[in-house]
Amino acid sequence: MAVLEVRRATKRYGRITAADAVSFKAHPGRILGFLGPNGAGKTTTIRMIAHITAPDEGEVLFEGRPVGAWSQQQMGYLPEERGLYKKLKVAEQLRYLARLKGVSAADSQSRITYWLDRMGLAKWATSKTQDLSKGMQQKMQFIATVLAEPRLLILDEPFSGLDPVNSELLRTIIAELKEKGCTILFASHRMEQVEQLCDDICLVAKGKVVLGGSLRDVKRRYRRDKLALEFEGEAPGFRDIMMSGAVKLLEHKDEKYVLKLSPDADAMAILDHLRASPDVNLLRFELLEPTMTEIFIKTVGAAA
Amino acid sequence: MLNRKTLIIVKSEFMRRVTSKKFIILTLLGPLLFVVFMSSVVLIGATTLDGDSRTIALVDETGVLSDRVQALWTSRHTLVEADAGTVRQDVMDGRYDGYVLLPAAMIDDPSIRPQYFAGEGGGMSIEGMLERRVERALEDYLLARQNVSPSVREILDRSVNVEAVRLSSEGEEAGSTMSYSAIGFMMGMLMYIAMLIYGTVVMYGAIEEKSTRVVEVMVSSVRPLDLLMGKVLGIGGMGMLQMLIWALMIFAVLTFSGTVASFFMDPAALDASTTASSDDLLSAAGISMPSLSPVFFLWFVLYFLGGYLLYSGLFAAVGILVESPQDAQSLMIPVILPIVLSIMFIGPVNDSPHSTLSVVLSMVPLTSPVAMSVRMAVTNLPWWEILLSFSLLFGGFLGSMLLSSKIYRIGLLMYGKKVTLTDVVRWFRYS
Repeated sequence: MAVLEVRRATKRYGRITAADAVSFKAHPGRILGFLGPNGAGKTTTIRMIAHITAPDEGEVLFEGRPVGAWSQQQMGYLPEERGLYKKLKVAEQLRYLARLKGVSAADSQSRITYWLDRMGLAKWATSKTQDLSKGMQQKMQFIATVLAEPRLLILDEPFSGLDPVNSELLRTIIAELKEKGCTILFASHRMEQVEQLCDDICLVAKGKVVLGGSLRDVKRRYRRDKLALEFEGEAPGFRDIMMSGAVKLLEHKDEKYVLKLSPDADAMAILDHLRASPDVNLLRFELLEPTMTEIFIKTVGAAA
Repeated sequence: MLNRKTLIIVKSEFMRRVTSKKFIILTLLGPLLFVVFMSSVVLIGATTLDGDSRTIALVDETGVLSDRVQALWTSRHTLVEADAGTVRQDVMDGRYDGYVLLPAAMIDDPSIRPQYFAGEGGGMSIEGMLERRVERALEDYLLARQNVSPSVREILDRSVNVEAVRLSSEGEEAGSTMSYSAIGFMMGMLMYIAMLIYGTVVMYGAIEEKSTRVVEVMVSSVRPLDLLMGKVLGIGGMGMLQMLIWALMIFAVLTFSGTVASFFMDPAALDASTTASSDDLLSAAGISMPSLSPVFFLWFVLYFLGGYLLYSGLFAAVGILVESPQDAQSLMIPVILPIVLSIMFIGPVNDSPHSTLSVVLSMVPLTSPVAMSVRMAVTNLPWWEILLSFSLLFGGFLGSMLLSSKIYRIGLLMYGKKVTLTDVVRWFRYS
C-alpha cells in the first residue's frame, strides 16, 4: 500500500492554479523524485502534503487517512528555503524542534547526540546556531528533519550548499533511511542526483503531473535515439553513414563519437553497414538510454 | 486553546528570553538607568538655567514705578535703570539683554501696555516676571494715590487654596487627590509603555521567524495559531516576570525610602524631634505616599494581561507580513493609533473619571486598559462597570486572536511581495 497518496489535489491562489488535480503515490522503502521547473507547483504540492496548506479540491492521504496535525508527527520536512533560529544553541534548537514533533525529552537527547556525532557537529552542540557555517547549518537542518524518525521524509533540494564530502555523507544516510523502510520524497533540479537516487519519478509542469512511474519504465517509454561509437582505423563506411543523413554528430573526441539518430534511422542497419566495412575495427556500438535531463527538457518543453 | 505543543513553544519562547544577557542586564539595571537619566535631565536643566542670568534695562517714563519695581524685584536676572536715549543702542551693542519701557500714559490708561524689547526673544519666564512685578507696582502706586489704608492692601493679598479631600466608602483622605492624580497618570503611562514595549517584542519575534524562514519548519509541526499563542504567551510571561522584579524593587525602595531620606534630611530643620521615626520625618516634610489597595494592583495586572494579549496578537500579525522591521512601519500605524489615542486622553480621564468620554474609553477594548488604569487609581468605580469593561476587553482579545491567526496563516508563507493594508483587507473579503 502506498504510504502517501495525492488524489487530484488542487490549490488556487486568486486566478492562478498552482496545483491542478495533482495525483501520485509514494511507496515505503522507495525514493520518489519529485521534479519540475521553477513555478511548476512543487512547493505548493509539498505544502499540502505537509499539511501547511489545505487543498481547495482533492485530498492528500497518509497511510490511507487524510493528512492533518496527526500526520505532521510522522513527516519530516526539509524546505528548500532553510530556516533556523539564529540565537538558539544547536542542541537546544534540535531538542525544541524534536519536542514539537512529539519526541520525548529523553529520546531527543540520545538521538541528538547520535546525529550530531554522525554529522560531525558534536563539538558545536552548545554553540549558537548563527556561529555555524552555512554548510554546517544545512546539516543541522537535516538532523532536525530526521530526529523524529519520520515515516515520510520530504527533502527539497537537500544537497544544495553541501561540498562533495558532505553530499556523499548525506547520500549514504538517505540510502540507509530508505533501507529502513522510510518513504522519501526527493524534490530536485539536479537530474544526475535524481538518476542516482530515485526509484520512481513524478514530473510536474504548470501545476499538472506530466510524467510519472518508475524511473526504469519512464526511460523505456523513450526511444534510444543516441548512438555511441568507438572504432579504430580509416572508416569509409562511417563516412557513408554520416553522409546518409540518418545521423547527426553530437560529440566527437579522438575516435569516440556520439551520434543522434534521425527519427526514421535504423540502428541495426548502421551496425550492419559498419561491420561490412573491411577497414573498420569496431570497439563500441551502444544505443544510449535517454538521460533524465533529456526527458525533463522534452516533456516540460511539450507541456509548455 | 492551550495544547501540549503550545506549552512547549511558550516555555521555549520564555526561557530563551529570560536567560539572555540582554534581559538580565535590562531588568536589573533598567530602573537604575531610568533614575540616572531622569535626574541628569533635571540636573542639566537646573545648572544650565542657573548660568543663564540676564541684565535687563528699565526705562521708566512714569517716574513713579521704577523704585517700586526695583523693590519688588527678586530674580536671577538683574534689573538696572537706564537712559531712554541710549538704551536701544546699548541693547544692540550687547550691554543689556533687553529693556522694558513703561510709558507715562499707562498709569491712567489701561489700554497702554508696557513693552519689553529684546534681541533674542525674552522667554516666557522673563515676560511673566515683568508682568507680575509691574502690575503689583502699579497697583501699589494707584492705591497710595487714593490714600487707601494699608489694610486694604492686606485684603487684596489674601489668597485661598482649596484643600482636596478624596471621599470614598472607606472614609476620607485629606490632601491626597493630587497624589492620586499623579498616580493615575503614572499608571496610565505605565500601562501604555508596557503594552507597546512587549507588543513590539512579539512583533520582532514574528519578523525574525519570517525573515529566517524558520516559520515554514515550525508550521510543518504545529498549527499557526499554536505558534502565535505560544509566542504571545511566552513573551507575556517574560513581561510579567520583568514587571514583578521591578515592582519588588520599587517596593523595597519605598519601604526603605524613609530611612534613606532621613540620612539627607536634618530633623531640626523640619521642627521634628531628633528621635523621630522615618515616617514622622516624611510627614513633617509634607511627603505623603498615597496607598493603593492590593485589589487595584490585581486589576492593573489583569488589564495589562488583557491589553497586552489583544495588542500583541495584532503586533504579531504585522510582524509576520514583513521581512524586516523597516517594512513594518506603515502596517504598524493602525495598531499603534488606538494606543496613542488612549494616552492622549489620560488627562481628561484623570480630571473627570466619570464623564461620558471616560466611560466610553473604558468600554472600548482598544483603549480600556489605559483608561481603566487611570480611573481605578483616581476614583472608586462601580463593580459592574469594571466587570463589563473587562468582559469586553476579553472579547476584544478573542477577536484580535481570530483576526491575527488568519493574517498569520496567510502571511507566513508570503515572500518577495510587500504586503499592504489593502491586501490584508482583500484577504478578508475573499473568504
